[in-house]
Amino acid sequence: MNAPSPDAVTGPATFFEDYPVGRRMRHKRGKTIDELEGVLLTNLCVNTAQAHFNEDSQKHQPVGTRIVFGGVTASVVIGLASQDASENLVRDIGLRTMKLARPVVHGDTVYAFTEVVSATPIDDGLGEIVFHHWGRNQDDQTVFEADRIVHVRRRPAAVTAEES
Amino acid sequence: MTARADGAITTERPVFDPGDFELVEKGPVFETFEVGQQLEHHWGRTLSETDAVLFGSLTLNYAPLYTNAHWSRQLGHEQRPINAYFVFLTVLGLSVEDTSERDGGMFLGVDSVDFLAPVYPGGTLTARSEVLAVRDSKSRPTAGIVTWRTTGYVDSREPVLELVRTNLVVRGSAS
Repeated sequence: MNAPSPDAVTGPATFFEDYPVGRRMRHKRGKTIDELEGVLLTNLCVNTAQAHFNEDSQKHQPVGTRIVFGGVTASVVIGLASQDASENLVRDIGLRTMKLARPVVHGDTVYAFTEVVSATPIDDGLGEIVFHHWGRNQDDQTVFEADRIVHVRRRPAAVTAEES
Repeated sequence: MTARADGAITTERPVFDPGDFELVEKGPVFETFEVGQQLEHHWGRTLSETDAVLFGSLTLNYAPLYTNAHWSRQLGHEQRPINAYFVFLTVLGLSVEDTSERDGGMFLGVDSVDFLAPVYPGGTLTARSEVLAVRDSKSRPTAGIVTWRTTGYVDSREPVLELVRTNLVVRGSAS
């Protein structure tokens, strides 16, 4: 048996052309954010704010327990959305107006939702897309929102719909 | 064994009284910030393959650019780049002790993150910040609102990331 073709690295419907402006995606997989994500990633990225990793220090604070670092929540939502929205990522360009609407605590589950805000061809091989991402918790409350800018591959000419 | 003031050695253990220990406080209070202030952050952080694999796996970010070295090379990289969001979190993390560490310093938002250049395993991140805005909080008189622009560098040379974020910071008069 031969190794899988390079064409199998990404799915057939995750090129620039697959993201018309206004398309809305509800991503299938969610993730429960435990200490594994919250504490490990906070400590790995040297964020020293102990509200994220010292349970004792938070007993008398308003939330009463450790709060998941918003950067971790953002990264999990973007990770979940990436599976459908940026498999063909060539470059991460940036993030705009990131809001954390309410705290996430260990044990909460987040789901990702995406709307295509803009899609601009750059050249024959590349396009720029702005996605608006929402992170929602198990109680259908928004916990995260941001615009994310990416460069993704355009569908190779040999397989464009026009030519086939 | 303990040395007494007169130099004699005794076997008495020192008494532990928490009041004898001065707290080594972390994180500035609101009043210390002024617009234009420059903050050079501590430590630095060399990013490794382990960081990249852990971060990508735990956030389920399997974009082949970051998870498939063979693919990254086809896209023109010599090795696979570190996930941009790990770079973002680490640059932010490096800045926390000098900016938003005080308890009660609620996160208000990240206005922008710009990824300026890819970062590869073995690169060392450092960060500096500038205070962009300082203002009162109408809803929380015990805190104020501060906005910083933080820039991350690799190997003390090339800027690789710029972010602007805003936090509540508690006032010294309230702590």
